[in-house]
Amino acid sequence: MKRATALRKQLSAPGMLIAPGAYDGITAKLIEQAGFPLVYMTGAGTSASLGYPDYGLVTMTEMVANAEIITRAISIPLISDADTGYGNELNVTRTVREFESRDLAGIHIEDQVSPKRCGHLDNKEIETLDKFLSKIRAAVAARANPDFLIIARTDSRASLGFDEAIRRGNAALEAGADMIFIEAPQTMEEVRAIPKKIHGPCLLNVVQGGKTPVIRLKDAEEMGYKIAILPGLLLRAAVQAFDQALDSVKTHHVAPDYLNNTSPQQNFRRFGADEWDAIRSKFALEDKG
Amino acid sequence: MERQTKKLRELLKKPELLKAPGVVDAIGARLVANAGFDAIYMTGAGTAASRLGWPDVGLLTMSEMVDNAQRIAEASGLPLIADADTGYGGPLNVRRTIQSYERAGVAAVHIEDQQWPKRCGHLEGKTLISADQMAANIRAACDARIDADFMIIARTDAIAVEGFERALERAKIYEEAGADMVFVEAPRTMEQLNAIPAALSVPALFNMAASGKTPFLSASEIQNLGFKLVIYPNFVLLSAIPVMQRVLLELRAGGSIKDLASQATSFTDFFDLLGMDEVKALEARYSVDDKSRVGY
Repeated sequence: MKRATALRKQLSAPGMLIAPGAYDGITAKLIEQAGFPLVYMTGAGTSASLGYPDYGLVTMTEMVANAEIITRAISIPLISDADTGYGNELNVTRTVREFESRDLAGIHIEDQVSPKRCGHLDNKEIETLDKFLSKIRAAVAARANPDFLIIARTDSRASLGFDEAIRRGNAALEAGADMIFIEAPQTMEEVRAIPKKIHGPCLLNVVQGGKTPVIRLKDAEEMGYKIAILPGLLLRAAVQAFDQALDSVKTHHVAPDYLNNTSPQQNFRRFGADEWDAIRSKFALEDKG
Repeated sequence: MERQTKKLRELLKKPELLKAPGVVDAIGARLVANAGFDAIYMTGAGTAASRLGWPDVGLLTMSEMVDNAQRIAEASGLPLIADADTGYGGPLNVRRTIQSYERAGVAAVHIEDQQWPKRCGHLEGKTLISADQMAANIRAACDARIDADFMIIARTDAIAVEGFERALERAKIYEEAGADMVFVEAPRTMEQLNAIPAALSVPALFNMAASGKTPFLSASEIQNLGFKLVIYPNFVLLSAIPVMQRVLLELRAGGSIKDLASQATSFTDFFDLLGMDEVKALEARYSVDDKSRVGY
């Protein structure tokens, strides 16, 4: 079964799916092993893993290549950040085809002017609603499998206000989007109002330290959100852990003690050693010795 | 080995016009080098055609263009002038673009003042960024290069959008911003072609496109107008198409394979073109035993 179809099945059940953000094969595998139903590929994390801030420097090719690495590492569905769709309706057509052909379950496309920036930064430029709707219509038409999820993201809250963000969300639904992502609502009232005012499924972006107040996921589910993404969860946790480990070596000339609790083999098992060992024994030549 | 960037700068100091045929892949690169040209050009329109099978409407990413450029630079061994479209965004993107092309072994790129997604300069319906934005992109491009000989060619697409006078004004603004060479896209008359090099203090690039919007001129005519570099973006690719179509038609109709083979490049000529000599020399140098060496 295509993973887009698997995700549609998950979404048809009541409740909200929680999708932590991955930016490589390690984070993707850990999310799956922790028992989450869905993985989200973060553009900010992908940029960071290439050594760039989330300033629209990463190309569609690089995003798709990373999505392919992630989706190959897991068997659960993956949805991905697809930024602005990388241009107009023609670029969006290509973008959808490229992501869908890697067996992704869906992508979100936003109404920022390219080059875009992180949704929780200031001075975002927004394209006209007409241009945005052309991209959404093109995205819907470009998918081969109607289950491939087209999530329309609007970044208009900051510069055009909450009402315009809602209007854009509903217009995108009418243009064929399957789910709406209102980026960076600014108050708890707005967070609560979005699923009521949008006439279709909604995605919540949980960003620590961003423009949106931090919300308990249980509450978000009760408000009616269908997917909650936590893009920076693992990147931020990793950066802290990396800093601590590096500091330990630099300051104390010794690796942190807790690293001695796992063997290399135990680590490899987190990344599929058992599966590969099974293949090795199945096809290994019999030992004649 | 001499840097290709320096080689290109030296070639452009010579009095005669430098000719750079455009190619889309490593085979084309070998052909241009074998034909004895001193420089080579990578066409964006041809690259989009070759890699996607789509027209030049801004669908390729910077990653794909750089990947293609690297193959052409390596296979040709010539100074490569590459299409870099709009630079793929604002000054920050341009910075990354220039550094990526430079690392790929390219000697020069042209970046243009169209809005993204761009389209072929000889198509209708182009839209432009402001001259100020483009000047910022040019400055970012000049700052970004590590090798000072890497050339930044500023292209303006303004003739079709804002008229010839404004295109020349833009060209001068870009020259002021630090461009090493200027490329005024799709001039339509001899009067315009005469005016371009005369208005500039940096060298001018002539795009001998196959579209017919720019008059078809010989190399000596182009040189006499005062241009320093001529690119022939798609002539090689477009010339090959009718031949390939004829072969396909004959194959479909069940034509004689012997006839087709007799008209085509031979198997051995093909491998020789691709550097069989180099392979043999390397084998000899590293003492691969006689029985294992390649041969026909």
